[in-house]
Parts: sequence; structure tokens; C-alpha cells
Amino acid sequence: MPAYTTPATLDDALALLASHKGQAMVIAGGTDLIPDLRRGVKCPQALVDISRIPELAHIEMTGEWLVVGAATTFAALKEHLAIRQRVPALAEAASAVGAMGIQTAATWGGNLVQAMPAADGAIVALALEAEARVAEPGGAAWRPVASLFRGPGQSVIDPTRQILTHIRVPLPTSPLDRAQGKRWGSAWRRVGRRDSLVLPILNCAVKLVLENASMPYDPPNLGGQGGVPNLVGQVEVMAEDLIERATIALGPVAPRPFRAQEAESFLAGKPLSIEVFEEAGRIAQRESNPRSSVMRASREYRLAVIPHIVSDALAAAAHRAQVGRRIHESLNQRLSGSVNQQSEGD
Amino acid sequence: MLDALHFSAMAISFTLNGSQVIAQSDPATPLLDVLRGELGLTGTKQGCDHEGECGACTVLLDGHPVRSCLTPLGKVAGREVLTVEGLAGPDGLHPLQAAFVEVGAVQCGYCTPGMLLSAKALLHRTLCPSRPEIIAALEGNLCRCTGYAKIVQAVELAAARLRGDAPHLNAAHAGPRPIGGSALRSDSLDKVTGKARYAEDLTLPGMLHSRVLRSPLPHARLSSSSVLRPSSLAEAGELPGVIRILTAADVPGSNGFAYYSQDEPVLPPAGATLRTIGAPIALVIAESPEQAERALAILQADLEPLPHAFDLDTVLADGAVPIAGEHNQLATWDLQHGDLEATLTASDHCLESCYETAFLEHAALEREALLGYLDEEDRITVIGGCHEPNFQRGYIADALALPPDQIRVIVPPTGGSFGGKQDPWPFIATALGVFHTRRPVRLVYTRRESFDASPKRHPYRVRYRMGATADGRLTGVHVRIDCNTGGYDGHGQYIPNFALTASGGPYRWPAVDGRARSVYTNGPKGGQFRGFGTGQSNFALECTLDELAQELGLDPLDLRLRNAITEKDWSFLGHPVGESLGYREVLEAVRPQYQRFLEEARQWNQSRVGHPLRRGVGLAGMWYRFGKSGSVRIEAHAELAQDGHLIICCSAPDYGQGTNTVMSQMAAEAFGVDREWVEVVNADTALVPYSGIQGASRATYFVGGAVREVSTALRSEVLGTAAELLDCDPDSLVIERDRVIAAGADCRGVSLAEVGGEFDRMGKPRRVAGFFDLASAFPAEIRPEYLPLVVTGAHLADVSVRLDTGEVKVRRMVAAHDVGRAVNPLDAEGQIEGAVLMGLGAALMEEVLPGQTTGLSDYYLPTAQSMPELQVILVEVPSRHGPYGVKGLGEAAMLPSTPAIINAVSRAIGVRLRTIPATPERVLQAIQLAPAQQGCYAGPRTRNAGGS
Repeated sequence: MPAYTTPATLDDALALLASHKGQAMVIAGGTDLIPDLRRGVKCPQALVDISRIPELAHIEMTGEWLVVGAATTFAALKEHLAIRQRVPALAEAASAVGAMGIQTAATWGGNLVQAMPAADGAIVALALEAEARVAEPGGAAWRPVASLFRGPGQSVIDPTRQILTHIRVPLPTSPLDRAQGKRWGSAWRRVGRRDSLVLPILNCAVKLVLENASMPYDPPNLGGQGGVPNLVGQVEVMAEDLIERATIALGPVAPRPFRAQEAESFLAGKPLSIEVFEEAGRIAQRESNPRSSVMRASREYRLAVIPHIVSDALAAAAHRAQVGRRIHESLNQRLSGSVNQQSEGD
Repeated sequence: MLDALHFSAMAISFTLNGSQVIAQSDPATPLLDVLRGELGLTGTKQGCDHEGECGACTVLLDGHPVRSCLTPLGKVAGREVLTVEGLAGPDGLHPLQAAFVEVGAVQCGYCTPGMLLSAKALLHRTLCPSRPEIIAALEGNLCRCTGYAKIVQAVELAAARLRGDAPHLNAAHAGPRPIGGSALRSDSLDKVTGKARYAEDLTLPGMLHSRVLRSPLPHARLSSSSVLRPSSLAEAGELPGVIRILTAADVPGSNGFAYYSQDEPVLPPAGATLRTIGAPIALVIAESPEQAERALAILQADLEPLPHAFDLDTVLADGAVPIAGEHNQLATWDLQHGDLEATLTASDHCLESCYETAFLEHAALEREALLGYLDEEDRITVIGGCHEPNFQRGYIADALALPPDQIRVIVPPTGGSFGGKQDPWPFIATALGVFHTRRPVRLVYTRRESFDASPKRHPYRVRYRMGATADGRLTGVHVRIDCNTGGYDGHGQYIPNFALTASGGPYRWPAVDGRARSVYTNGPKGGQFRGFGTGQSNFALECTLDELAQELGLDPLDLRLRNAITEKDWSFLGHPVGESLGYREVLEAVRPQYQRFLEEARQWNQSRVGHPLRRGVGLAGMWYRFGKSGSVRIEAHAELAQDGHLIICCSAPDYGQGTNTVMSQMAAEAFGVDREWVEVVNADTALVPYSGIQGASRATYFVGGAVREVSTALRSEVLGTAAELLDCDPDSLVIERDRVIAAGADCRGVSLAEVGGEFDRMGKPRRVAGFFDLASAFPAEIRPEYLPLVVTGAHLADVSVRLDTGEVKVRRMVAAHDVGRAVNPLDAEGQIEGAVLMGLGAALMEEVLPGQTTGLSDYYLPTAQSMPELQVILVEVPSRHGPYGVKGLGEAAMLPSTPAIINAVSRAIGVRLRTIPATPERVLQAIQLAPAQQGCYAGPRTRNAGGS
């Protein structure tokens, strides 16, 4: 049997893995695996390349879910128009992975299976409450992405037997949400030693679900990779908006990609305000337990910065949610003959 | 790195540059290795250790840019691969290639193939890319030479042309004369098509591969009984393919290169002390790199660990661990004039400061790569990028105990150096391999090895006491500089002189008390780095002056102007400067932008009280002494070729900075022909004269001077002979294209080739020697060791800083330099743009931590995203002695950028940053320490806490 195979279907891929009886390993983008092979960290006897299986590189939006084939590259994610518009944090996280020449090969699924505590793809998946579909010869099942990580670099997925096939993200415009009048905003914030091609000192993804409104959600992409984000101060406090639910994911602040659950609980039911975001940041800081990295930053620095990036990201997410609202308002005004056209964000 | 891929080979078929190919390799082999090896396409470059960290190996896979170093061969089966070799069409260059050549986006050319392909993929997606889109498309491709500005510009130009918006012809740059006309680089065409052959691209039949066993310890003693454990030596020696294992005993001549580096052996004898991680122990020479690698894994040296220290305080303390020299000191240099203490006591203000810098790595995209062989005259020949081929020849000759004429050194196209490739060690090691095997030998460092074993920029600690009157006149300066030379000298013996020279700048100092010393630690060995020891001092000086201006409530620009020396003044060095000075001019040149930036930052900050983002504007100046010491009489040769072409023979190696082009421009100008009529033979010790040491930004001034002299001399010989042939007055003759013709109505003429034929008949040599001689300008009895030739410049930086995270973004910069005369304005701009970004890296990102830094994944070079909006201003105050009024530039351009940025950050946060790189962590720390600092030294630098 050839040492390198590129099956065309998932069933073939699973069968190939099975036939190698644990000696073959899945390769997706290979951007992490190939260096590991060179270093002798991993020594499979064969590689099963899943990057050419059409269904694993497919992006689809159903009513409730964004379903992404696990072999979808970060380049495809960041360039996908609907993702940029509706799940901007995912597009932003995808553009933060390495740089263009990495993003064209590296896959979201591969990033999750690598299970590094600050994997951009894992942090954003946690905040988006993504689920992963893991297939093995006996069948396949969806499970929360949060349950995939065992420890630094250790996934519960066995790449000699199992294949992460899809990742799905609950979409903000699900009919249920709309009926309940919820608006969502997601955002991404990263601090690094430089603006690109670098592992993060810290990364953070958040999702805010606002309640008590019945308006469409269509925020524009704020863009703005690189540079020093200028988000604080842009949020107009709208007292009537309440946070129904929030998610906050942070890395690397624990052995696994981390959800700041206490900060999330704190946010539930709170109004949108900078003070609330800052308090959530301080709670997230207390929950975090980062390590010192000689080449990136110390534990102390990471702890000092966590509150700020969390509140930055929350502010951006709130801004995005409110942009949706403002668009709605201005539409209403226009429909009712008003000439007062409001600016659509920054 | 041990190549652990071990699948059996498969036949993998794919489309490569439009043709079907079949590769027979392990399917996990990186595509990069298959392209460069089995398929023989060397246009795709390797810059890192197959880690995806540099982008030099970018190719297109089905139109998408990928790292070929991370792409296993198995992945390309049945797909389309495009490399730089396939970019040009049958009708000529791809518009991107043409644009890269035209706008000067190609310097060393090592990143160029990857850049071109990343850009091609972008233009496939859109022909109207925004600037941020271009930057995002290129952010993964590192470039160390250009600062990215001209690359982005080239992509914009190509996009415009593909849209049909811009002219296709490139006549725009061609000036009326060769000098000052932004001539396109003579070698860019090869570099954009992948044809340029760098040292690592060359192979010879029977070529062997050399690898180096190196010390993993910062300080250790080799067993006194043998360098290598005999059992390991026997085992490794018997491995298949292993040809020789060389140790100190195999060095036939002097085991060292003392003129360059005192007390640094080529290979250490038994019992020797190894003073740094990466110190060489033995050389393995084998039929393949993998076989050499296997031997390395087996070889063992018995090393007794010794206490070690990387920082200055530890090695200078009483009872410190002895590393080398007396009290761990290598060299000192003093400079005193005036009564400093009295002056300072009488001054209205006296300010103290202490600044610290880090080990910097040149990180040229091409790693150290050399090929040695026996040439047709049986000379031991080494091809490799370097600054001083004649010196390398001398070091090799000494080590091999051979006369220099049996050694030859050739400089091929070189992928950047910035001083890093001056190290003689890899040259000697390569030659030693050829000496013992009589076969071709290749030596290529891994990137990791380059980080461990190549020379670094010395970290400095600079302490100032500086006096001034209330109205901002400098009264005196007391400066103490400690230069960390690491484990070996590596020219650290000369560093104190340069450190001190730069510490005074182009300012009037009535009293000076300066002392600099170089100090041994167990850090990586120091060495030449762009600016050779001046950048660190200039950083400290220009930041301290900014502190002084702030304390005095003066405008920093005015403070500098008030104290700037003129050509008539005595300089900081205690004697007059030897060249025209344009410092006032460069300061005035940046003034309008300076005032604009200040006002914009002020308004921005004022309108956002309490906002975490603050803006700041910084200014810094510089003087740089170019030219080095040594002979003031520089030689070059000119030859009238058989077909009438002008051939220039000189030694001014082109490692990306463009000397080949500049020399051809100078020769063309002097000889009176088009530049295309000139061929430059450069930097081959068998073919060209010794044109002095190459470095200190001296090529254009010194070697260019010799090229002008010799071209002028040959011209008058040619005109004289032509006059005899035409029976007329030589003064009435001109050279037009390939002919000498009589001016005026008389159309008589004779071709240059015919003149050459006449030379032969007359027995007149076609090749003449010419000299650029400064002896009369600087008579020996009053000539200082280093000629007082200085250039000046000033930079502005406009930054924004996040007060809550310490993140810094350099928004805009302005760089003004007195270049004397820009021989090639496009290239001069390109040098400055690259230098500005290198200075930005030093200011904010770059730091080698001994024993920690592994490569380009954790040594942070600026990317295209780091690039500020940059304006370059070329100020031309003609030199008095240089050819055509030129001055040196390449190194000087890096100096003001770092302090300008740090001054801007300090102004933004309201606290002085005194340690670089100013990582987010250091900046945040400074902000948090703000109340305590109050202008005082904030305590020693801690080395190992990732930024303390």
C-alpha cells in the first residue's frame, strides 16, 4: 500500500486508516505535521491526506448553522463573504493564523486536532460554541469543540483512526433567535510581538448575545487586522440593551484553550457598558493562569493585559451587535420618510 | 536538522510550470527539496529550516501561494505547481517581474521569487488590490533588504498595468547621464526569473557536504585527552558516505584568524575552552548531507561545563567567572578633551541616562552558504557571500599554510549580509574540507546554526552624563560604554573605537570624557553588523538628547541645530571633519513634516483624553564615520575588451546593496558610454585587484573613486590612440555608443574595437590600473587612523501606543540623508527604506536571547505589516573628495530610525524607554513604572525573563 494516499471520500479515508491498523496518520494541511515528521516527533508509516475530499472542504450556511468541512483552509474561511459578515470573529481569527502562505494550506480541523492552548482556530471555535463531528469506522458524532482538548498538544481525537470531518457554528440569525429578538456580535483580539506571522502573546474571542429586540442582524466586517486596534470608546452605551449570554475564550492562559466561564456568568443579564466589560475582563484575569514564555511574554504581562483585551473584544462585539440595530433603525427612519441617515459604525 | 522522513519513494506526477513532470521521492519530502534537488529548479529559495517562517520558498499550488517547505510532495500529485521559473511567458517578463525590476524592488533578490508568487496569487484574485490587501498578501514573505516599500509599489504598478492603467514602457527612470539616473540594476533580471545562482544553488560533480559539530553549552572545557571521544570517532568514521572528520589537528597552518578575531580557533584543540553555544568542535565531510548528519548524531566530545554568564554585570563583577582576557575585557578606547568635570559643574543642567540594547542577528534571507573546489589552476577556491574576498583569501592561506596565490575567493550573487557574512570561519572551514578531500565541498548553515554561530550585533550599555546651558548649548559629555562581545573577539577589538565615535554625534562638545570597552561574556560572538558598533551608541545619544530637550523645554530639532557642527568646527573626535557636512540641511529637510506630525499628534491626544491609544512623535539624528581604516590608495582596473566593451575589475562585493550597478554607472560616466557598455567583474581574487576592505559604507566613495580614475585614464588612452588613427586632435574626439568620433561636421570615426586592435598592434596594454588616492587630501602626518569622513541624517517617527497593553504601531516615518550625490536615487531610496525597517526591528522586536532563540520563529523580523508610511528625502551636499560628490550611505541609514521610534514612544507614554527592543511588555512596564522613574535610571536589565 502506498505510503501517501489522497482518498476522494471520507469512507475511503477511514478505510485506509483502518487498514493500516494505527500505523497511518491523517494529514490535512500539513503545516504542523510536516515539521513534526522532520523532527521525528511523529513517526507514522503512512499518511492519509484528507484535504482533497470535497465534502471536507465545503462551507455551508443552513438556517441555524454554519457548517464547515474540517479540511477548509483558513484562507477560505477569511475570504468567505458570509462568514466575514455574519461571524466576523471567525474571519479575523483565520487571518491571524501565520500568514497568507500558511493560511492557504492550514485547515481549521487540523488546527483543532493540534490542540495547542493558543491555537487561533480553537480559541475562536470555543467562543462561537462550535461543535465538531468526529468520524470513525463505526459512525460519526457531533461533540462540543471544548471537549476535544486533553492538554497542550493533546487531542482526544486519534489521528490514526478518527477523522474530524466538520465543524459547525450556531448562527446568529437562526429563526429561533429572530423570533426571540436576539442580536449577536462576535469579535477577536490578539496581542503579539509583531503584526503577522507570529504566535500570539494572547488571543481572545468573544460572542455576545443581546436580548429584547427584534431586528435583523447584518453587521459589516470591521476588518482591521494588524496594527493597534482602536475599539475602545466606540461603543455607545444603550441602556435598554441587555446581555443575555456571553462567551469569552482566551489563550494561552491554561493547558487547554480556555473559556472564562465566571466572566461569562457575570455578564449574563448585565447592560452594555464599558464598566461592565472591564469588570468582566478583571474576572477573566482572575480565572486565567498563564505561563511565562521567554520568547513571547511573562505571566505577569499576560495577566496585566487580559482585562484589556477581553474588554476590547467585548466592546467590539457589542459595537457590531449595535451596528445591526442602528442599520435597522435607520432603515425604519428612511421608510418612515426621515432624512436622518445614521452612520453605519466607524 | 535530522531528516526523519522515511517513507519509501513514490513516483508522483504533477504539472510544473506548465509541463508534466514525475518526481521519484519520499512523498513526505518537502516540495522545496524536490524542486531544488531532483528537479534542479533553484529559483525557489530556502530561508528557514523548513518551518514556514520566512516565505522565501513560496510557490503556487493550483494558483494558491503555499510554503513549499511545508508542502509534502504527496500533496502535489495531479496538481499544478508554478515556480518563479515559470512566471515569465513566451513574450517576456510577467508584468510583476518587470515592475519589480523597474521600481527597485529587488535588492539581494533572495525573497524575490516568493514575493513574486504571493503577489501573483493576489493579482489573480483582484486587479484592484488596496494597499492593505497587498500588505496582507505579502505579510508572510520576509524581506530584510527593501523595507517592503518598493515591493508594494511594484505590485501596485503591475496591477495597474494589467488593468491597462499604466504605461508598459520603462523609460521613466532613465536619466540623461549614467550618474543620478536611477539605472535599473544590472542583476535584477536574473533575480526575478530565478536564474541568479547563489552559492547554495551551485553544484559540482562529486560534491561533498560538510556539517559542523558544535558545542551545545555556553561555556565548557574540552577533554584534555582528545577532542572527540575515540569510540564515537571510530563509529562515525565507519558510517557509509562519511569521508573525513576533521579536528584541530587537521588544520595545517595557523589555527585561527587573529587579525579578525584574536584567540578564536578554526577548530579547538583538546583541552580548549569553548566560550559560546555553537562554538565549532569538528567538521564532518560526507557524500550527502544526511550522511554527514548521521555522523554528527554519533560524534561525542567530552565537555566539562563551566560557569557561564551572558550579561555585563556578572562578568564585570569582582571574582567573576573568567572567560577570556584580563578581567574579561578585550579592548578599551578613550577620548578626552577639555576639562569635563569643571564644565559639567558650571553647567545649568546636567542629565544622566543609561541605555541598553540587545544581541541582534542580521538574518539575511540567505543563510551562510559556501561551495569550495579546486579550480582549473588547482587553486583552492571558495565561492561564498562576503565583504572582503581578499581578506578571506588571506585567512584561508594562513590556516592552510599555503601562499595566497594558491587560494581563490569568489563572491557570487549573495542573499544579503548586513555585516553578517564577514565572518572568516565558514570560508576557512570550507577550504579546509577541499584541502583534505581534494573534492568539491558544500557548507550551508541551518538557520538555527546561523543564529547560534554567526556573529551578532553587540549589546551595549551606554551611560551618559551630559551638560547644557539653560538655552540649550551642550557643554560637555561624559560617556561610558560597555560592549558585550560575546564569547569571542570577532572584531570586538575595534568596537570601542566605533562605539565612542558615534556617542558624540555631529555636535559641538567643549569637553569630552569618553571610554568604551568590549567585554567577554558567553553570549554569541559579536561581529560586524550594519553600522559596526555605531547604531547602539547613536541610539543612546539621540535618546539622551531628546531627554535633555524635554528637560530644558526646548524643541528637540532646535536643540540639535543649535549644537550641530559645521565643516569648520572641531568634532567630538578632537579634530576637524574631513568632508562636507549636510547635517543642518537634513534637519531642515524634515522640519515641515516634523511640525505637521507634532500638531496632528497633539490634536489627536487632546481630543481623546482618557483614551488608551496615544500618539507620539520622535526625532533623531546621526553621524556615521564611513570608510574604515587602512590604505587611502584604492585600486581598480579597466580593460578595453576585444569587441570594444569596457570591463571594470574591482572588489566591491554586491550582496544586495547594488555595487555592481553603481560601479557600472561611475565607469560609464567617466568613460563616456552608456552603462550597458560596461561589464563589471567584481570580487574574484583571481581576476580583480584588491580594492581595500569592503565595509563601512565605503564602496561608492572609495572603490567608485578608483573606478572613475581608471575609467578616465583608459578613456584618454583610447582617445589618444583614436586621434592617431584619425589623425586629429584627441581633444576633438568624443565617444558615442561604440565609436570614437570627431566632434563637429567631420563624420570620421573609429570603433572602440578597432582602437583595441590598434592597442594590440602597438603593444599597448588593453588593461590599465587606476588609483583613488586620498594621500594628498589627508597627508600622513596629520591623518588620524580612521579618516574623518562622516555622513549625517535625521529621521522622524509618528507612533501610536496602547497604554493598557504596551503595543506600538509605527504609523509614519520620514528619513532624510545627506548622500553627497545619489549615483542611483532609486537604489539610495531602497537602501534607506530597508535600513529604516531594520532600525524599527531593533527598536521594537529583535533580540537574540542566548540559548533560547532558535530561528526565525522566535526572532521577530519586521513584516510588511510593520512597515510605516515612509518618506525618504535625499539631501545632496556634495563631498569634497569623493567621485562625483558621493558619500557613504548603506549603514548610516539604519542609525536614526531606532532612536526616532523610541523617542516617539517615550513621548507618547510620557516615560523614557531605555531598553530595546521595546516589546509590548517593556513598554507596559515603563508605563506602570512611570511615577517612580522621573528621569532616572530604572534599574538593570534582566536578561532571562522575556523582557523583565
